[in-house]
This record gives sequence, C-alpha cells and structure tokens, in this order.
Amino acid sequence: MSGTWMTTRAWLLMLPLLMVMVAVIGWPLVDTVGLSFTDAKLVGTAGNFVGIDNYTKMLSSSNFSRTLVTTTWFAVASVAIEMVIGVLAALLLNQEFRGRTFLRALMILPWALPTVVNATLWRLIYNPEYGALNGALTQLHLIDAYRSWLGEPGTALAALIIADCWKNFPLVALIALAALQAVPRDITAASLVDGAGPFARFRFVILPYLAGPLMVALVLRTIEAFKVFDIIWVMTRGGPANSTRTLSILVYQEAFSFQRAGSGASLALIVTLLVTVLALAYAALVKKTAGSAT
Amino acid sequence: MSALEIRDISKNYGAIETLKGIDIALESGEFLVLLGSSGCGKSTLLNIIAGLAEATSGEVLIGGRSVLGVHPKNRDIAMVFQSYALYPNLTVHRNIGFGLEMRKVPVAERDKAVRDAAKLLQIEPLLDRKPGQLSGGQRQRVAIGRALVRKPQVFLFDEPLSNLDAKLRLEMRTELKRLHQMLQTTVVYVTHDQIEAMTLATRIAVMRDGRIEQLGTPEEIYNYPATLYVAGFVGAPSMNMLQAVVEDGRLAIAGSDVSLPLPAGFRNAAPNGAPVIVGIRPEALRLATGTATEFPLPVEIDVVELTGPELVTTARIGNQRLTACLPPRARVAKGEPCAFTFDEDALRLFDPATGKAFETAR
Repeated sequence: MSGTWMTTRAWLLMLPLLMVMVAVIGWPLVDTVGLSFTDAKLVGTAGNFVGIDNYTKMLSSSNFSRTLVTTTWFAVASVAIEMVIGVLAALLLNQEFRGRTFLRALMILPWALPTVVNATLWRLIYNPEYGALNGALTQLHLIDAYRSWLGEPGTALAALIIADCWKNFPLVALIALAALQAVPRDITAASLVDGAGPFARFRFVILPYLAGPLMVALVLRTIEAFKVFDIIWVMTRGGPANSTRTLSILVYQEAFSFQRAGSGASLALIVTLLVTVLALAYAALVKKTAGSAT
Repeated sequence: MSALEIRDISKNYGAIETLKGIDIALESGEFLVLLGSSGCGKSTLLNIIAGLAEATSGEVLIGGRSVLGVHPKNRDIAMVFQSYALYPNLTVHRNIGFGLEMRKVPVAERDKAVRDAAKLLQIEPLLDRKPGQLSGGQRQRVAIGRALVRKPQVFLFDEPLSNLDAKLRLEMRTELKRLHQMLQTTVVYVTHDQIEAMTLATRIAVMRDGRIEQLGTPEEIYNYPATLYVAGFVGAPSMNMLQAVVEDGRLAIAGSDVSLPLPAGFRNAAPNGAPVIVGIRPEALRLATGTATEFPLPVEIDVVELTGPELVTTARIGNQRLTACLPPRARVAKGEPCAFTFDEDALRLFDPATGKAFETAR
C-alpha cells in the first residue's frame, strides 16, 4: 500500500471529526474574532467595525485590571492550597493502615460531585442564618455573631477559594498517590539506612518522583482556576461589590448582562490568550522537568 | 564477641512462616553468603538484620548490642541493593556522601571520605554526574561507595550483581573480593548465584523454606553437602545422584548390574540392605584408563556438549543418568560404551528417606 494512499485514508478517517471541530470550535472562534472588532449588541444589528477600540478600552479599564488581580489571586491561592493538601493527603493514603482503600475511595467524592452541587453545598455551609460554619465557630466561641461569609467583600473570595479547594484537591491527591506508588521501595529503604528523616526523605527520595506528575496537575489546575466560572456564578455571581468577579464572570456580564457582544468577544479572546500563554509556559516547564527526572 | 549474631529469628506473614528459627554467629571480617532460591527467606533475613523488617521472634545483635527496635540508621550497618537504589536527582558525590550528610558530618571530612571511596572504586571522574548518566556497573560502584564511606560494623548486600550483564558481574565479583580482602569488613551477602557464593564467601548459609540447610565454608558446602538439596543446589552441573542399595559391603546401582565398593568411611553409617543415594560430582569423574587400581563404572554415552574448557558428557548407567565434566579432548562419542572412574573419597551417600548425608570420618 503506497504512502500517499495511507495519508489520504488517514485524512478521510479524520474528516468527520475535523468537520465537527470546525463547526463547533473553528467557526465560533473565527466569528468571535470578527465580532471583537465591532460594536455589536447581543440582539439587534450586526454592529459597525470599530477596529481595536474594544481591546484598548477593555485593557485600559480599571474593571479589567481589578478582575485580573482577583482571578490571579483566586488561581494562585486555590492551586497552591490544593497542591499542598493534595500531596499531604496522598502521603497519608500511601501509608499502610486498615480502611485505606475505603478512605481512598471516599476522598474522590468531592471531585466526583458536580460543581453546582458542590457550590450549593458550600452556600448552605456559609449561610448567614443557619450555616454550619457559623454554628461551629459560634459554639467554639471564635466569633460572637453569625456572619455573612459570602456577603462580605473581605471574606467572600476566601470562602470561594476554600470551596474550590475542597472540590479539587482530590485530583492532585490522586495524581500524587499514583506517583508515590512509583517510588522504588529500595530507594526508600536506602534512605532509611542512610539516616534520612521524614523531611529529607520527602525532599531527596519522594519529590524527584512526584515533580513530573505534580507539574501536570499544576498545569491542569492553574488553567482551570484561571477560567473559573461555575462555582463562583452559583455562589456569589461575582459579588459582593465585584469582590469575587473573575475574568470569565466579567466576559459573561459584558456579553450577556450588558449585552455588549463586541466588547465581550474581545475580552473572551484576551482571556484565551492569557490561558494559552500560561499553557505554553507550563508545557515548556513540564518538558524540562520530564527531561531532568531520569 | 561476634560482629553479628542472629539468635533464633522467625518471621511469619499471617499463617506463612518465612523464617523458622535462624541462628548464625559471624566473627569480625567474615564474608557470609546467604544462598538459596527465590522465596527461601534470604532477603527477609537481610531486611531483618537491616531493620527494614521486623522479626516475629528472636534477636539480632550487632557488635554485641541487641538491635531489637533500633532504627536502621542507628544499627551501624550499610546496605547495597540489587537495584542500586541511588537518589536520581543527586550527583554521584552527594549520593556517596548522603549517609554522612544526614549524620551532619562536616563538609570537609565528608568530601575527603567521598573522594577516598571514589578513588578506591575508580569512579573519581564520575563524581559530578547524576545516576541517570552512568552505566549499570558504574551505578553499582556508586552504591558500594555509599556503603563504604559510612565505615559500618556490618555491610549488607542484597543480590548486588543480579542486574549486571555476565561480563560485568564477573568484574564486579572480583572487585568485591579485592575490597573485602583489603578492608577485612564483615559482610552479609544475599544471592541465588552459587558461583558468587563459592567465590566470595568465607562461609555460606544455604537456605531453603526459611531454614538454614547447611552453614559452612565453601569447601565444606561443595565437598561435604549435608543434604541432597545442598548437593543439588551447589555446583554446575549438579551433583550426580544415583539410586543404590547397600549389599554386602558394596553399593548396587539400581537398574543396572554395576556395583561399587562401599567406601570404608561409610561402612558403619549405612546398614546392609539400606537404600541410599550415591552422590558424585561431575568434576570428580574421569575416563577409566584400565589400570588395575581404579574402579571402572561402565556407561553408555548419551549426549556430548563442548563448553570450551570442558566436555560435559551425559551418560546412561542402566536406567539412570550420569553427567561427567571431561577434558575437552576426551575421546567420547554418542552411543559408544565407555567407563568412568573416580577417587573413592569423592563419593557421598545420602539417606533417601531424610535427604540427609550419611556421616563419614573426613
């Protein structure tokens, strides 16, 4: 069979999928790029060409910069906490004890829950009138009166970060747990004989085997955290006083709440660009980590 | 005072008894090889000595001190693993010095110890490399270096040469022998390779099913195997085992007309009419020359294999098989009858019921 026919056949086999991808990703993307150079509203006329006005307005607006800071803060804090708790949970679940398998299965539960369910659950916990958190903290005499954790700009973002961490740390823990199983027993034994304590053992024996897989988890979680929408929309809708408004929420508000499709599209493309840069930087980092872990 | 003493060590995993009452005492400078097939408990015993596994009962003493419940790092031991177990992200220098680094030995002292060990093992040019950049043999040298710098009371080796190719294994074996002769360290070495055991050990403990089948010098193990298992396990090709019966001071080989004179040393050990197994090493057999003083063993040649230094010849004696290692130029051919002979003191007799050797005056 000739190479040309093989190539043609490969393209033919991929054609249906390519057509679907062009229809659901390619065409909307091109349309969004076109839209971002117009002043089109969500309903009504197609809008007039305004050049890069949407971009310059958006990038110079204080709304955008404030939202970018909020998004970055949310992504950095939640991913960092998830990584630490995930690795600690994995180290714990890698020990031998009775009920380990049950606990491993139980740990996946928050991650398996749909985000909307998770968000609703945490709204109940944070409820200012009958929430479990208020109840617990009052009974422990840590606060005097019930507070509206999601209603105060000072605590809303932190409350969201906790809810997001609870949902997503199991993914990190699962990846770390799989990596821990790959640490050769002999090396752990050698480090025991060599006199390495728990910290030295983690640093010199375990971490080299964890670094690669953890980097993948870091990439996945950072990109997801940067694009976060659902958990925030269900819990705070970006409020109070825009204190939990992330870039995806801003895109939604711009395009659908204020019905400014043109500037909404330009903002969506800016977010896409930021995430792409992040993904490329991480991809390079993963490649470097994988290369050095031999 | 023994450098290492193992007292009545047993180890159970649930209902499975992995070790059954092991007793060994090792003097300083001895090289003990724990020899046995997979699953015999040799690595478990080594791990118990190292403190990486706990014994169900019994005691281990290192330098006269009981190490029951003592952490591996405080047992004054160093261990070399089959998989080398090097830290992949540390340089060779740091790998070798890791144990000293963990013990907070000053940098200058540590550096000197690492360089001395590297010089001894001829790996000085590799000190700045990472394990991933080394060959198998170089990695094993680094692993040995890591054990050497610690200057422990006892060195433990867990099948250290198993991952190397045949040529490198031979080189490293000689290297280990040289190191032991030079440093006179106390070593416990686990292997399933009987050649390694024979060449390196000052004493060998042949293990089987969690017990020590025989503990002795390589010469004792090879020439005076205490059981059929030891006789069959040590030596390649294995010792010939011929079924026979003691009849009027002779050994009648079963399934043939051949009978051999019962060596004088066994006359009181094996009673008349008793079935026995006659053990004779293939290396002890040679072609009969027909002189009156030798006792011929008539056989029919079955298979002849030239290995280079010798002619491994399989022959039939009645319905039993016999292997002989003859000189490469020996005149034997398949299907031809001929006669082997041997020195009387090369014969060993075993009780087929117990598998134990009949004692003889050596």
